[in-house]
Amino acid sequence: MREFQSLKILDTFKKGFEVFGVDYEVMRKILEVKLTMDQRRVPTMFNQSTKKKEDNNQFLKSLGMYLLMSLILIPLVLGDHYFFQMSLVFGIVMFIVMTSMISDFSTVLLDVRDKVIIGTKPVNARTINTAKVIHVTIYLFCITGTLTALPLIVSLVQQGFLFFIVFVVELILLSFLIIMFTALIYIGVLRFFDGEKLKDMINYVQIMLTMMMLVGYQLVIRSFEFVDFQMNITIHWWQYLIPPMWYGAAYEWLLQHNQGQSIMVLSILGLVVPILALLVYLRLIPSFERNLDKLLSQNTKATKRGTFYREWWANILCHTKEEKTFFLFANQMLSHEREFKLKVYPTIGFALFFPFLFLFNDLRLRSFAEMSNSKLFLTIYFCILIIPTGVQMIKFSENYQGAWIFKATPIKYVANMYRAATKALLIKLFFPVFLLLSVVFIFIFSIRIIVSLLVVGLTASLFSVICYKVLNKSDLPFTDSFAAAQQTETAKHFALFAVIGVFVGIHFFSLSVPYGEYVYFGVLAVTNWFIWRRVF
Amino acid sequence: MGNQKVLALKHLTKSFGQKHILQGITLDVYQGEIIGYIGPNGAGKSTTVKIMLGLVDDFEGEVELFGYNIADGDPTYKQRIGYVPEHAEVYDNLTAREYLTFVGELYGMERDHAEEKAKDLMAIFELTDVFDARLSSFSKGMRQKVLIIASLLHNPDLLFLDEPLSGLDASSVMIVKEVLAQLAEQGKTIFYSSHIMDVVEKISNRIVLLHDGQIVADGSFEQLQQQNKEGTLEQIFNELTGFNQHEAIASSFVSVVQDGDTT
Repeated sequence: MREFQSLKILDTFKKGFEVFGVDYEVMRKILEVKLTMDQRRVPTMFNQSTKKKEDNNQFLKSLGMYLLMSLILIPLVLGDHYFFQMSLVFGIVMFIVMTSMISDFSTVLLDVRDKVIIGTKPVNARTINTAKVIHVTIYLFCITGTLTALPLIVSLVQQGFLFFIVFVVELILLSFLIIMFTALIYIGVLRFFDGEKLKDMINYVQIMLTMMMLVGYQLVIRSFEFVDFQMNITIHWWQYLIPPMWYGAAYEWLLQHNQGQSIMVLSILGLVVPILALLVYLRLIPSFERNLDKLLSQNTKATKRGTFYREWWANILCHTKEEKTFFLFANQMLSHEREFKLKVYPTIGFALFFPFLFLFNDLRLRSFAEMSNSKLFLTIYFCILIIPTGVQMIKFSENYQGAWIFKATPIKYVANMYRAATKALLIKLFFPVFLLLSVVFIFIFSIRIIVSLLVVGLTASLFSVICYKVLNKSDLPFTDSFAAAQQTETAKHFALFAVIGVFVGIHFFSLSVPYGEYVYFGVLAVTNWFIWRRVF
Repeated sequence: MGNQKVLALKHLTKSFGQKHILQGITLDVYQGEIIGYIGPNGAGKSTTVKIMLGLVDDFEGEVELFGYNIADGDPTYKQRIGYVPEHAEVYDNLTAREYLTFVGELYGMERDHAEEKAKDLMAIFELTDVFDARLSSFSKGMRQKVLIIASLLHNPDLLFLDEPLSGLDASSVMIVKEVLAQLAEQGKTIFYSSHIMDVVEKISNRIVLLHDGQIVADGSFEQLQQQNKEGTLEQIFNELTGFNQHEAIASSFVSVVQDGDTT
């Protein structure tokens, strides 16, 4: 363990903590241990290859990424449409910080070991709780700090001191809002559920938050298209619900001297809500700690879910008994792996959201009748974007140690495992989304697009095989730890997106040739038949 | 040996929602006793221990440790307690040195003192090589040894051990058992929960049997034998908890394995 800069800064507030009945020395020790552990939260694969550089700070490396991301904020702090620009800035900051909070720091908030390891020692509860909050705060300030350091400097030089100060204060308020918001959601969930159901609920909340962030970010941009930001700013009721706008509004008020009622209300919300949230949080902390125990309790009552649907697919899609077994197994794994859901389900949100985003944009240019005669149904290809993420994640499992069973049992054809897992993924993940979109699209574009939809389906099936080969090579499904998944293979993903582009291009072309689509359909069908047999 | 009262439970009740986990436990424990605290799963053993450690509040009744009522909220009494948890929770990203030093410090020890003592104890368990390795790389037995060391580092007067021998090899088991016996001789009190009856039978000088949140037997092994006219602790346990179908269950199990009839 080494000395932490953040703790040295914290030392200056020692007296303050002691006034509130916190045992500072003990809290410092707890934080020291926690920060040390954070540094070591390294992908296991990494771990083995770089054994020598033990204390090489993994966390600092990830901060480098945030510094890079902060470049997109810089153009936004220039210019004079403060309200619009700053809402966008805060929107982006909130999105990035909140997602990292959910994915990385949920484990801190929900750590049950704290209670057993520290709670059994002579340490008072206030010290433990304060340590927890400070721990998250340190982390959050590191991220927010790196993310906004460059934009802050630019704003100080370009926009002057007042702008800079408002920026700093609002960032602090926003950070508090984020901590409190996350914590309060967990408090709520812990209160109403327990056992396995609770873990599922936490999982769904995480997925929903990630999706909300995606959609909310769009809303911030959208809301300004209705606003004539030159002169009158009209605020719709729902815009009061978007936190980044509270913080953007403060600029309108303080720097543009717009004292419209709604602007004032928005700005004040930005100050009052974090404080209110903090008060509620402090009040609820004891019950939070108590309910945390529920995470340990095993609620064994469970009902067997319907298996008819799965078995039906298994009989249609799989030809050997071994493959069928793996198909059903992969299906069950996919419905139980929480980490998998957390990583993949938000992209389903994307897949459902994007096609309609394009349609709505289009509707502003032409009529519905015109649109429904167009080729815009090709936007359904967006749902194929689920496949690369899903395929990449399928080789991981929370219980990857269980993979010994594949070695210990007499399995004849390993290829069956790849094939069955890919099929399960298509059926479980892609198909429902595709079906839903197809039904809606048939309503919009009429039944004429049915062949096109079939082509999309075949493309998805072909594409999933390509994805498996590109991303997983010959790794078996469910055999690696999720910790290894942190290095996402961005370059490969982009290459795969390009491949989708090619598919869309060919499809588009085939539509303009008489009978072209039917020929294309035939070609795809044959290729599919061939590739599923040969590639695995 | 002193007969000072170390621990006193009076009408301890605890329920989670509709479930009554503890239904009035009254128990006095004196210095130097090794209590074998046994009972079937869900009888309320770990809840009792958790209450005494201050991990579970909202109970009814009185809990006094070393004459101090724990409901008062001052955690200082925990300084005299050592604990080996049921699920072997550790911060496994830390090395053994870091973890043990940290735990020692939480118990109020000086850093250097805790570290030195941890090092010596690790050496006795032949774990010197891995003192600076992360706990995540430890085997189950090694981890258990670390937990045992962590619970004894600050020389506590009262020990709560939940399956402390799980994962240990035969020679380590003998060492730990002997350690416990010697500690008790020197006036430490040990609260030992386990499902392995022959160990409890040999190790403890008083056995407390919990069933459905109530104490159904309390006394030395010999006393229990006289009361129940049974040979081993396992048999006494089965009789008191009303479990006597193990043969029937086993044979239907075997019969299913062999694709036979379930009856």
